[in-house]
Amino acid sequence: MDIQTMVKNLHPLEVRIIRRYGRSDELTIEKVEADLGFKSGNGNQALSWLAAKGLVTELRRETRVFYELTDLGHRWKTEGTPEERLLRLLNKKEALRLPEIAEALGIENKDVGSAFGALSKFGLVVMDGAKRVALAAAAELMENGLPARGEGAQKLSVVRGLLEKAAAAEGAVLADEALDEAEKVAMAGIAKKRGAADAAFRILERETVVYGLSSESVAVAQALEAAGITGDEIGTLTSEILSQGGWKGAQFRAYNVHVPPSRLLIGRSNPYAKFLEDVKDKLVSLGFEEFDGSLVETEFWNSDALFMPQFHSARDIHDVYYVAEPTKARSIEEPWLSRVAAAHENGGDTGSRGWNYTFDREFTKRLILRSQGTVLSARQLPTAKVPGKYFGIARCFRYDRVDATHLSDFYQTEGIVLGEEVNLRTLLGFLEMFAREVAGAKEVKYVPGYFPFTEPSVEVHIKHPVLGWFELGGSGIFRPEVTKALGVDVPVAAWGIGIDRMALMALGLNDLRELFSYDIENVRLRRANEAAR
Amino acid sequence: MPKIEVNEQLFYSLVGRRWNSRDEFEEVLTCAKAELDEDSDKSLPESERVLKIELNDTNRPDLWSTAGVARQLRIHSGGKRPKYPFFTRPEAPGSTGGPVSGSVGGSAAKVPAKDSPFRVVVDPQLREIRPYIAAFVVSGKAIDDAQLKDVIQTQEKLCWNFGRKRRSIAMGVYRTSLIRWPVRYTAADPDGTKFIPLGMDTPLSLREINQQHPKGQEYGYIVADFPKYPYITDDNGETLSYPPVINSARIGAVQMGDTELFVEMTGTDMETLTLAVSMVACDFADAGYQVVPVTVEYPYDTPFGRSITFPYYFQKPTFCSLQRVEKFLGQALTGAECVAALERMGCGAEEAVDSETGTAEKVPGVRVYPPEYRNDFLHAADVVEDVMIGRTLASFSPLKPRYFTIGRLTPITLFSRKVKELMVGLSYQEMIYNYLGSRRDFVDRMRRDGFTAVRISNPISENYEYLRDSILASLLMSESISANAVFPHRIFEVGKVAYRDETENYGVKTRQNLGFLHASPDANFNTLSSQLQALFYYLSRGYEVRELEDPRFISGRCAEILFQGKGIGVFGELHPQVLEKWGVTVPCSACEVDLEALL
Repeated sequence: MDIQTMVKNLHPLEVRIIRRYGRSDELTIEKVEADLGFKSGNGNQALSWLAAKGLVTELRRETRVFYELTDLGHRWKTEGTPEERLLRLLNKKEALRLPEIAEALGIENKDVGSAFGALSKFGLVVMDGAKRVALAAAAELMENGLPARGEGAQKLSVVRGLLEKAAAAEGAVLADEALDEAEKVAMAGIAKKRGAADAAFRILERETVVYGLSSESVAVAQALEAAGITGDEIGTLTSEILSQGGWKGAQFRAYNVHVPPSRLLIGRSNPYAKFLEDVKDKLVSLGFEEFDGSLVETEFWNSDALFMPQFHSARDIHDVYYVAEPTKARSIEEPWLSRVAAAHENGGDTGSRGWNYTFDREFTKRLILRSQGTVLSARQLPTAKVPGKYFGIARCFRYDRVDATHLSDFYQTEGIVLGEEVNLRTLLGFLEMFAREVAGAKEVKYVPGYFPFTEPSVEVHIKHPVLGWFELGGSGIFRPEVTKALGVDVPVAAWGIGIDRMALMALGLNDLRELFSYDIENVRLRRANEAAR
Repeated sequence: MPKIEVNEQLFYSLVGRRWNSRDEFEEVLTCAKAELDEDSDKSLPESERVLKIELNDTNRPDLWSTAGVARQLRIHSGGKRPKYPFFTRPEAPGSTGGPVSGSVGGSAAKVPAKDSPFRVVVDPQLREIRPYIAAFVVSGKAIDDAQLKDVIQTQEKLCWNFGRKRRSIAMGVYRTSLIRWPVRYTAADPDGTKFIPLGMDTPLSLREINQQHPKGQEYGYIVADFPKYPYITDDNGETLSYPPVINSARIGAVQMGDTELFVEMTGTDMETLTLAVSMVACDFADAGYQVVPVTVEYPYDTPFGRSITFPYYFQKPTFCSLQRVEKFLGQALTGAECVAALERMGCGAEEAVDSETGTAEKVPGVRVYPPEYRNDFLHAADVVEDVMIGRTLASFSPLKPRYFTIGRLTPITLFSRKVKELMVGLSYQEMIYNYLGSRRDFVDRMRRDGFTAVRISNPISENYEYLRDSILASLLMSESISANAVFPHRIFEVGKVAYRDETENYGVKTRQNLGFLHASPDANFNTLSSQLQALFYYLSRGYEVRELEDPRFISGRCAEILFQGKGIGVFGELHPQVLEKWGVTVPCSACEVDLEALL
């Protein structure tokens, strides 16, 4: 990193360290925090950053020993050490056996044993032939039960001193370097590294790192001085600074513009839902009026009114879902029921010879989940305007195993055009418009198609720059058996576009199931694929 | 839509020509509404190459065979329409002496019924069981492998798709050399009648065949409930077959090299059956075989009489006015142009002045005589489409529509957009979900009883058995699989729900709802309340709230939203048991509103 960049990236804490100290200074966290008035923890942070940048180097590590007062130690301080308590006890009583002493003091036998051992070495207690312990004749105790003079007195008071000092110290910790020789010796007897439950002090080893400024820091220090950066630059601009004018003449810390910004969770529309709404807008701009309807429909509107005979194999092709309860609608509107029934049976007055079978008026009432958008077109015919153009993007249901190319429920985009000028050629004209305006296609071709309810029927195929030719949709002129039975006298064109495939392309996806993804993170990150159009 | 496998060599020999490229061939196939599903493997020898073709027209079963597609392509490309002199025609006076076999008008060659050496006699008991049988004999040439495969395929496709899985058509093919005439179509005792069926080597009774033979298990149900089953024998009592199930192993096992075959079809609809027989007979004729008629004697009335000689041409002509052609195609065509187009489709046609079905006025137009193998002209509209394909679709240029209509969105769509925009403004991510789900997800996990949900009686699996009556379950499903998404989660959907409602004609109501969910350590009733307030403010709708007990929510932390005095929604903190069932360990609060009620 070059000097200028380095200089820009230094934190004020780092700046202040570099400008304050020279190469001969020895820096520790405590020193830096004390000298520069840093908050606790900032010294550690600043030195770590400087070390990472190579501006300070580690000179050495010093291990310093500390002693922490344990719970046991606290009890000793408050209640007295085993030695102290033994003396006090014997001061009052004549002579006791060790077990009796243990019980009286509530101390373990072994602890009583070692306390006796220590005191007896100092000549403060003796044991008789009957294993009873009593104060030694020469022992002289003070009011507080502690010995008045002698080695024992000295030793016990050193321990007492350690306990009191530790209890009063910050964090109940004493530094080894602060102890004198006598204290160190005494401490060695009552401090342990591990198993602190049975020792009065816990031994702690802390490493202090001692740093020194590196040779690289010299140039940086010079650059800082030349640039006039002191580490006192303004960080956050506050209302106070603004109103009191503290910004005048001051410098601002620079931001590192290259740091990746943190992520925001925003509110947003769903790209697939948005795509569908965009298609709706395009169709509205072509003069189409939106329609929709119930998710549950009857066989009558879904298929019978579209002149699909009740026995026809075309009905099996897209098997429908049946509603469990109720199974049938209460009634089908007249005169449509009778007119459609007549069309099926003998053509009615539609000019057809019909399918020549008996129309089942009960079957026609069966409730199903609508399987095609054309049901909405059928429903619209009785009240459609002439001339008229209608469309819908409808959720439909088909009996199909769910996989990458099939969904349990999916959208179909369908519509109709009614009017005297509706014929094959104007239908081709509409399809061309859809292909260009809605699908953004540049090349279009038409192929004769087949639908049970239109005659003639035409499929429209478009060319995708990568995928080649594929079927955009199907269309045709409604059979007169459909239109006349539902009261329409003019030709009606019906069309449908495969919207889900277009959605996959627009969103850069391959699997239909992803359009309806439940995964929140997945949906959050999905964006429209601009290149695909 | 049926897919057929076509032997390439046989196919092209029947078509009589080839095309230069795959693209050209595929374009030509469109005149049959067919697509090349899979080209043949060019590494195989020519005689073994197979084309896979998909047929899209369910009203043109004649196209579901190699000969059928070949015929359509051949004629459309300029080939001559074939003659089929073996057809019989109705004798009733006034019957149209219409064209059969490539000639317009006049009477066709007939084989007098009494001269046909082959007869079938029908048992009267079959009237209630499986009343109709039609048949013909094929001879003149030994059957080869490709042809045999094709016959079997035709049998399959026809009976499955057109014959509604053998219910209305079942077909059998037999070795004529083993037959003593007349053939007898009888109603037989299911237990007492035994024969060795094709594919087995011991005799079984008809009922046993239903139980033990794979074809019996597949198709036996069609006749199983009758006291007697259909049964075909020759005059000696030798078994031909047990329709619609299986042939006999002896007479019913056609082999390569056989030179004379007896083809029969049984079924429940006379017209369908007769047409099917006509189609298969024409296919054989195209392949170079001789078709010899068979007379069937019925002891009861049928739509075509009691003694019928098959193949039988029963189709009636259809008249279509030139006016209609111009109106629906958008192009004025002369009678002669229409006739030429129809002939390219294999139909006989003549210019005429007549009235269309259901009208009185006589106008200029064309009268169309369906070819022997077709009966799909139900309405003059069907003639128009054939004219279109005959002239080719490409000959019609698109015309820009001229008249003007105003487009608009529905009020609920417009309102929903406002709602979505505001929800996004409240930092919610829009979701879009399936409407089908399981009982576990829509009912059990939501602490509900499921009485209002719409259930499907034939679901594909229990995962898609119910139609949702609330968006909340969908939102929770999202929540349950999104534990790794950064929190907070704020998700919503505007979508449809459906629920049972006795007052509706359909017993079901469909509504457009808004559902939203907030999952986060600080997702509580108050936060949601504020969001709701903001939403309603900017929708310019006033509302009130009222305490509500709803098992999905924590008691005392749930309220009903009232609009103009009616309850139109609910919100609150979701019940821990609901969250537990979904495996969600972050507090969630949620809301659902009926948007249509706010319109």
